[in-house]
Amino acid sequence: MASNDGGNPAAVQTSPTQSAPAQNSAAQNASSQNEPREDPGGFKLKFCTVCASNQNRSMEGHLRLALANYPVISFGTGSLVRLPGPTITQPNVYKFNETSYDSIYRELEAKDPRLYRANGLLNMLGRNRSIKWGPERWQDWQIGMPRVNKDREHEKGYSGMEAGIADIVITCEERCWDAVVDDLMNRGSPLNRAVHVINIDIKDNHEEASVGGRAMVDLADSLNKVAAEEREKVGAEAFDSGTGAARASFDERVPEVLGEWQERWPNLPATWTLAWF
Amino acid sequence: MASSSSPLSVKEQLQQLQLARKLTLENKEYYDRIVKGVLPVIGPSGPLELRRWGAEFLAESLATPVLNMREKENMTLAVLETLSSLLESEQNDTIVLKATIAAAASAYPIVFRWIVNNSYHTEAWEQMSKIKARILQLWDGALPPVKLSCIKFVQRVVLAQTASNGMEAKYLGLDISLNMVPPNHPLLDSRHMEAEATGLLDRMLGVLQDHSNDALLVDATLNCLSILIRSRPSTTNRIINSVLNFNPLKLANSPMTPKNKVLIKSMEKTTRMLMIHILKRDPNNQHAGKIQQYIERIVRSRADIFDEAGRNKRALADQAQYENAKRQKLESAAAAAASAAAVAPPSPQVVIPPLALGPHTLAAVFTLTQNAGLQAFNAKQIQNDLAAKIVVKALTSLDPAVLDMAVNGIRTRFAALHAAAAAAAAVAPPVPVQQSTVINPSTALLGVEEEDDDDDYEPNFNAAEDTEQILNKLDNAPPEEPADQLMMDSNTSLGLGHFELPPPPLIDPDTATKVGQVVASRVFATLGGLAENTRKPKAGINRLAASSYDRESWMTVVTRLATRSTAGLSGDGIKPEENSNALDRSRNMPLSDVYREMLYAYILEDWRRRIEVAVAWLCEEWYNDQLTKRMNGNSEVGLNYERCALRLVDGVLAYITPQDKVLTRFLAEIPELSRTLLGRLKTLCGDPTTVQLALQTLLYQVMMRPPVREIALDTVASIWMEYEDARPLAAKYLVKWRPGFIEAQQAAAAQAAAQAGGNGNGITA
Repeated sequence: MASNDGGNPAAVQTSPTQSAPAQNSAAQNASSQNEPREDPGGFKLKFCTVCASNQNRSMEGHLRLALANYPVISFGTGSLVRLPGPTITQPNVYKFNETSYDSIYRELEAKDPRLYRANGLLNMLGRNRSIKWGPERWQDWQIGMPRVNKDREHEKGYSGMEAGIADIVITCEERCWDAVVDDLMNRGSPLNRAVHVINIDIKDNHEEASVGGRAMVDLADSLNKVAAEEREKVGAEAFDSGTGAARASFDERVPEVLGEWQERWPNLPATWTLAWF
Repeated sequence: MASSSSPLSVKEQLQQLQLARKLTLENKEYYDRIVKGVLPVIGPSGPLELRRWGAEFLAESLATPVLNMREKENMTLAVLETLSSLLESEQNDTIVLKATIAAAASAYPIVFRWIVNNSYHTEAWEQMSKIKARILQLWDGALPPVKLSCIKFVQRVVLAQTASNGMEAKYLGLDISLNMVPPNHPLLDSRHMEAEATGLLDRMLGVLQDHSNDALLVDATLNCLSILIRSRPSTTNRIINSVLNFNPLKLANSPMTPKNKVLIKSMEKTTRMLMIHILKRDPNNQHAGKIQQYIERIVRSRADIFDEAGRNKRALADQAQYENAKRQKLESAAAAAASAAAVAPPSPQVVIPPLALGPHTLAAVFTLTQNAGLQAFNAKQIQNDLAAKIVVKALTSLDPAVLDMAVNGIRTRFAALHAAAAAAAAVAPPVPVQQSTVINPSTALLGVEEEDDDDDYEPNFNAAEDTEQILNKLDNAPPEEPADQLMMDSNTSLGLGHFELPPPPLIDPDTATKVGQVVASRVFATLGGLAENTRKPKAGINRLAASSYDRESWMTVVTRLATRSTAGLSGDGIKPEENSNALDRSRNMPLSDVYREMLYAYILEDWRRRIEVAVAWLCEEWYNDQLTKRMNGNSEVGLNYERCALRLVDGVLAYITPQDKVLTRFLAEIPELSRTLLGRLKTLCGDPTTVQLALQTLLYQVMMRPPVREIALDTVASIWMEYEDARPLAAKYLVKWRPGFIEAQQAAAAQAAAQAGGNGNGITA
């Protein structure tokens, strides 16, 4: 019969997708400092990322920082590793330090592959098992214990982390920052080593973790630049060139760097303190 | 090993040193040998890179948790010389100094314990004391990173030189304390040690007492105080008092640069964390109360300083205000109920207190709330559409019982007023003067106030004021009047006289029409803002018209407004008026025609796309016509379908092009086709380009709508006859659908021609 001229052309809406930032991040990673560790000019700060379960946010940060060639380790501050289950009251719970990402992956895949693929858990665990063996708990970390076992060597961000100590701890949630600072006070700072503990508030979902990961690399680059400057500047000068008042040290410049970073990432509120290992 | 590599370049040496370090990390047995081995290379005379590496390696090695205290002793004693010389040398590299002092901090408890147990080894103690003196000397003038290490070193000294309560973890020298020093130790004098520790602690806390803005030093200090507070009782009071007196938010007075924000937040949070940490570990602390207050205070100050918290606070304050309002309402209602002289039975949900004595405005009669603020609220301030929304919402959500209660309450008030009026009427005659001086119940008050009050709902009534007014008036009354008489008189004033609402102003037809048109145009204005529903769910016959708020639904509403709104009225009402008043119809058209006009204009605006609207409208018109017919007994009065359909077709045909197959569809879908209507298609045949469209449209009717087949075929036939150009196509259809017609026509034509020819011949001949 007669053609339907009255039909409305379907409104084509181009919805903003999340894929664009994810693509950008690769470029950003590639552009970050990439010099080899052996190069004396290639100073690298050592990082430690912390979230609740050492699964999503800290692991995203771990991967991003490792890809940016920073030495990095990661932890969770929760009592147990908690992953979403079929309902909100049935989470999947695992023990820290005893369960590998791979075993969690296989268990969830056996339970309900469709559900756990749809909610991104398998994808996340698949990524995590390529980074390191399993989730580690912050409170159980023996700070300063060398991490030189053979099975750690394939871990991402391993290189430079041999001494098992970090210069910067980045937490992904205020609660984790509190836990870290409280734990460090509790330990009594036996190692006499200063550490900057920085919190970046990142919501616990895959998209936000990705954004947070990029923000972490940005922060790491900014901090590392300042730290490298401190080393190079003094190194270039004579031994007894005096203490230039204008020459602020790395530690002093951390708040300044963080303040500038916060202007660039206003949606990720940050907190900083200088604590002791 | 490394010492033998002096001819190598610095870079190569560093590489070798890295390898050596790796060995120690892999196997703790190597620490002793390698640490001692690298000492010559990293000494003060070496290149800066090596000194830096060396200092950091020493700091790392002396702190490593891999070795226990005893295992570190040998190594520590061996490096004291190097540490001392690194500190003594004039080079001020912050990295070397920072790491060296950190190493010294780790060395101090080890050496301390060694000396406690080996008092003969004065050299070691002297060296350590020298290092300590040098560090304390460096402390004041040092750069911040070095100062950081100095603070930590001093913390370790204080930790070692004060008495422990045994609460600390027994590892990495944290448990080394004054408790270990025997009373008569030849080198270590407990009292002297403790005094020194107290002095150093004060110096350390100085940064808090000065309310320093240097977050780096403040944080570094705060973050190493916990163990002192917890495990060194002699320091606890001093430290907690210093922290409690410290204002971490002092910097907030300076400009809020990004850096300052970080610093303020950092100091505040770190201070709070330390206090919470202490409170958590020891809730029965003698300072617990003060700590709690302190935490609350800085949280509040912080909230004042930072915007986001400030917003929250305002929001809370607003809520508090509302809460207060709610409470007031309840309280005053309860109070009113209690104090009322004639107590109405209090209902569980709504209390409608009877009116106080005295005159009342209508608004007051209808005012149920006891809240003075709400009573004073002028409802006029609310825009009409908003008010309508509120009323509709309120009515739908209102519990019917509550509504009944409220209505009954008002009724009771009226009844009471009437009773009072009756009583007054009975009493009034003996005291006519009184009535006029006190109050004129029947006319004056309401007469004065009606114009504001009957419509506008302006509750300016205030019970207290009114009683006062009455009392004032009573004061003016003759004093010899007895009290009970006065009471009775005041009762008379309660009576509401006979009162009629004034009739609404007459709306003349012109105004009504104008207003109607405005309303109609507003109805159409809504269309523009509505989204077109692109997805049309196929609900089939069960679909409810206008069940969603999209354009289609609204269109349904509009078409029904046009067709049905005045359907029952127009039949009898309008006609006589038209006849009697002889008003110009175009100027004073009924509301539904206003809608029809607008619908027509709306469809023609974009008729190709709005043909569906046209179909829907005509369906409604047709349906309404059927109902009208049934009501009026098939009279033709008040029917609109034909008129509207013709008008639409005429409108559309003016713009038609050969491609507009939408015409076929339109004619196919409208509910009724008449000869006149189809006849309009003939005009299309005047244009050769649209002949095909016209005929195809007709063919479609012929094929698909048997009831109109004859009419359609008649139209085709008349086209065949009237339009020469359309003949071939029309003939094709006629041959198929009305066989014999053409032949009959041709025969008739031939006959006619023959006749005409015969006549003509006759004439001309």
